[in-house]
Amino acid sequence: MGYGSTIKVPFGPQHPALKEPENFLFEVDGDIVVNVTPRIGYVHRGIEKALELRSYIQDLYLAERICGICSHAHTTCYTQGIEELLGVEAPPRAKYIRTMIAELERLHSHSLWVGVAAHEVGFDTLFMYTWRDREVVMELLEAISGNRVHYAMNTIGGVRRDISAEETAKIRSSLDFFEKRVQKYLDVIRTEETFLKRTAGVGVLKKQDALDLCTVGPTLRASGVKNDVRADDPYAAYGEIPFKVIVDDECDVLGRTVVRCKEMLESINIVRYALDKMPEGSTRVRVPMAVPPGEAVSRVEAPRGELIHYVKSNGTTKPERYKVRSPTLANIPALCKTLVGAHLADIPIILAGIDPCFSCMDRMVFVDVAKDRNWVWTMQQLKRNTSR
Amino acid sequence: MGQTSEVANELRVALKDSMIEVKAPRERRIFMRIKKASFQETVKRLINDFGFKHLSTITGVDLGDQIEVIYHFARDGAIELSVGVALPKNMPSIPTVSGLIPAASVYEREVHEFLGVSFEGNPNLSPLVLPEEWPKDVYPLRKERTFEELRQIGTKK
Amino acid sequence: MNVFDWARAKSPWLLHFNTGGCNGCDIELVAALTPKFDVERFGIRLQGSPRHADILAVTGPVTLQIKDRLVRVYEQMPEPKKVIAIGTCALSGSPFKDCYSVLGGIDTVLPVDAYVPGCPPKPEAIIDGIAGMIQRKRKRELHGSDK
Repeated sequence: MGYGSTIKVPFGPQHPALKEPENFLFEVDGDIVVNVTPRIGYVHRGIEKALELRSYIQDLYLAERICGICSHAHTTCYTQGIEELLGVEAPPRAKYIRTMIAELERLHSHSLWVGVAAHEVGFDTLFMYTWRDREVVMELLEAISGNRVHYAMNTIGGVRRDISAEETAKIRSSLDFFEKRVQKYLDVIRTEETFLKRTAGVGVLKKQDALDLCTVGPTLRASGVKNDVRADDPYAAYGEIPFKVIVDDECDVLGRTVVRCKEMLESINIVRYALDKMPEGSTRVRVPMAVPPGEAVSRVEAPRGELIHYVKSNGTTKPERYKVRSPTLANIPALCKTLVGAHLADIPIILAGIDPCFSCMDRMVFVDVAKDRNWVWTMQQLKRNTSR
Repeated sequence: MGQTSEVANELRVALKDSMIEVKAPRERRIFMRIKKASFQETVKRLINDFGFKHLSTITGVDLGDQIEVIYHFARDGAIELSVGVALPKNMPSIPTVSGLIPAASVYEREVHEFLGVSFEGNPNLSPLVLPEEWPKDVYPLRKERTFEELRQIGTKK
Repeated sequence: MNVFDWARAKSPWLLHFNTGGCNGCDIELVAALTPKFDVERFGIRLQGSPRHADILAVTGPVTLQIKDRLVRVYEQMPEPKKVIAIGTCALSGSPFKDCYSVLGGIDTVLPVDAYVPGCPPKPEAIIDGIAGMIQRKRKRELHGSDK
């Protein structure tokens, strides 16, 4: 390493910084990355094809499991598209509940991420605090839906469960606690020397680049662009609930952290508002099994950014074509841009900065075993040598 | 809904030579079908004149004897415009838009891998998720490939 | 039981590997480390390297592309080693079992010593699975089995 020539450093598919098996090939010159080639695909389960073979209601179960962190975002996106094709609308109460669960999901996802980001820069204390506090949200989700993950709240036509008065009270008190904790994190990340050193000025993505590369989510908003599907293309109950779109001009990993923390505070307000204004009435409408021919595009703001589903129906009980594009895939071009020119030691935090959810991205066909050329152990040694 | 139908009408008028059909089934959703011949010019106009600068994704659909490539654009994050171009299945090729929108490259690779569409001018159509050993003429999302066949191919090793 | 076996029984180091899951199980596994569940009080730690791990905790269904790597990771672990399959996908591949990119559960590729069902299993269930597996190992040792 370091004789003026570029060497290739494999990273993945099993590396402590990545909870999922992905592969990146970095070409480095000394300590600086000169090129990065993402080679995604290890998590491919062939879901898009599988969705064509199952009925719409069975596909709900599969769509939920595209991702274990933003499963509600996927089912919301899914049910909205099918409802549009069916020409039905979920009842107002269902829309409010969908919104509430979506925001609780955002809370658990963003706090998870703050912990992971802290861990990536060696700040394990913050990791432990955020994940401890996050349990409050997980318990809420479990109390409301019966599961900590894969809440199965959505169905085509509405939601499957209602919120009781008891759960409402629990939500309010839990959020009061969680709000104070998030304010504390915001304080810590903006003042803690160790965190600032590893994130300020790191992974810079300028505003024009972010736009040109079709970036989405907190990564986009941390580069000064005020785009959020909840505000721009309202769905569920977002059209009726006032909230701020959080934007930051720092364009770096610190900015992305600040955006996610402030978004958590907004999420808490959205949930409170939804509880205050929760409409009465039913939680679902019954829908037929077969969907008339048509096509629909459904978009939601998942915790990681714009999630888009395209569905084409053919009059039967099974979709003709179902396409899912998750936010992490949309951010791969921006990710590559921010990695080029970075120091090797910053790779983990920059990767983490887009909040990658590779299981969301690798949904299509997937077969055969790639020849194993890049093995993680080289990167292991590298990480040990470059960690500060 | 007013604004969306207005935009749809503007598109219908401005792009009438390349337009096959345009419809706005609900607010903030427009579906357009255009002819392949004027594809590049149309995309340029959509981006520069109509402000559809964000490409959400590109979907490939097997229509039987044609493959449709649908480009999903967004304007200000709000109006989602889906532009479909039908290509003959025995020769599905279309110019790349990655020169206009760099992010398109990733989505073009995906459609190439799974449906066999060639994006002329895209310098990198290497597999995004399928491994190098995957047979190059097998496109998993094409309808002629049954589930069982694909599983055979995949588990051959 | 010699001192090394005791150390292993008392503080197993876990290597976590996701073969193609949705992350649900992975997050619950990592959550087991965090203060509410605090699996470190049992001496259980997540390790980054197979060469230091006693237990391979696998989540997700085995996708064809990951299979070789999974086997390689297993082979890199020193004996004695155990494999624990966490979550429904790891158990049987469901609900992706019939996807042509999915081989099935972990036991289609590796010998599995413990199965923790759930979609995903709660952190308590994961800890229970690991603890149960260690207990059974100790019982076998006390009864003179050579495993």
